[in-house]
Amino acid sequence: MAYINYYDILGVSKDASQEDIKKAFKKLARKYHPDLNPNDPEAKQHFQEINEANEVLSDPEKRKKYDQYGENWKHADEFEQQRQNQANNGFNGRYSYWSGNGNFTGQENDSGFSDFFESLFGSHKGKSTRSVFRGQDYTAELSLTLQEAATTHKQVLTVNGKKIRITIPAGIADGQTIILKGQGGPGTNGGPNGDLYITFIIKEDPIFKRLGDDLYIDVPLNLYTAILGGEQIIQTMDSKVKLQIKPGTQNGTKIRLKGKGFPVYKQEGQYGDMIVTFSIQIPTNLTEKQKALFKELQQQD
Amino acid sequence: MQTDLIIIDDYCQKCNIEPSFIFLLEEDGLINIKHIDGEHYILTSELQEIERFSRWYYDLSINVEGISVIHNLLKRIHSMEAEIRHLKQHINFFQQGNNNYPEY
Repeated sequence: MAYINYYDILGVSKDASQEDIKKAFKKLARKYHPDLNPNDPEAKQHFQEINEANEVLSDPEKRKKYDQYGENWKHADEFEQQRQNQANNGFNGRYSYWSGNGNFTGQENDSGFSDFFESLFGSHKGKSTRSVFRGQDYTAELSLTLQEAATTHKQVLTVNGKKIRITIPAGIADGQTIILKGQGGPGTNGGPNGDLYITFIIKEDPIFKRLGDDLYIDVPLNLYTAILGGEQIIQTMDSKVKLQIKPGTQNGTKIRLKGKGFPVYKQEGQYGDMIVTFSIQIPTNLTEKQKALFKELQQQD
Repeated sequence: MQTDLIIIDDYCQKCNIEPSFIFLLEEDGLINIKHIDGEHYILTSELQEIERFSRWYYDLSINVEGISVIHNLLKRIHSMEAEIRHLKQHINFFQQGNNNYPEY
């Protein structure tokens, strides 16, 4: 467990006044507060550090204890004993940002405080001076295959130990977030529960590429079918279709199959298109006879 | 719909904030307040925003004018993030199709 220099974190000297500490903390908090740095794990980490530093240095008792034992942290055993002796003398913290909503969803039991802090001061149980009302929001990520995303289906998620059955509508997009009202943490003081935010990650599919509601597929086309025309079976998401290929189809030709794409989110019965790109397969390893025939064709051209 | 409303005085008492702060937020157009039979209410649907604004105001010492500016900028950030995500998906899509050329 590494020693943490709380003074360095807040950028103040060891003899800083309470006012200096408060100012330094607020200045850094305004810079790194996760509310102001959405989806930025680095800012969140910084904020945890400065919040912890402030928790210690802004409390004269904790600051004294930290100053006394903190520097000699290498003698961890002694301090552990000290800590145990003073177990009932643990701190009764002021308001902690982590006791609030904070949008650090899904981390209800995670104080965000370091092991160093907890060893020195015990488990962090901040007592809020400004209590929260609405419950904490939780976030979760859910990975789906393209096939799964194409059909409305039910899944059971476990979020913070609670099982939640959800229906995932067909056509959900990669990165899309749905909100389940009231499925977050419980409210306090009679306040409503928080919400559950579920973000979907759609895995890449080896056959189909999806762009919006359209699906793209590359289909290899036999040289002779491309030249003479014929039939070609095309795989769609849920079936197969037979296409008539026109004689003289060029490599890279694209065709659009209306309504054979991805289901449109929450619009039952509506589908995007499928765009098929033909990739003409040139025969290799020709036999002598085949070569002779191609040469004959060449001479006629 | 009465259950979707919370009496401002009750809320402020439970959360240890001043009702004047809530009215300042309304003045700046950041939240809505309902006035029914002489009582003032906030909307449950806006609680999340109110708690966020309270954190900025009380914990970070940002005044209501600052809150308004930050709120608008964050909205722009979210909208730009959504646009970036959308564009990234397009770029990935086209890169996948163009990276398979053999080298000669």
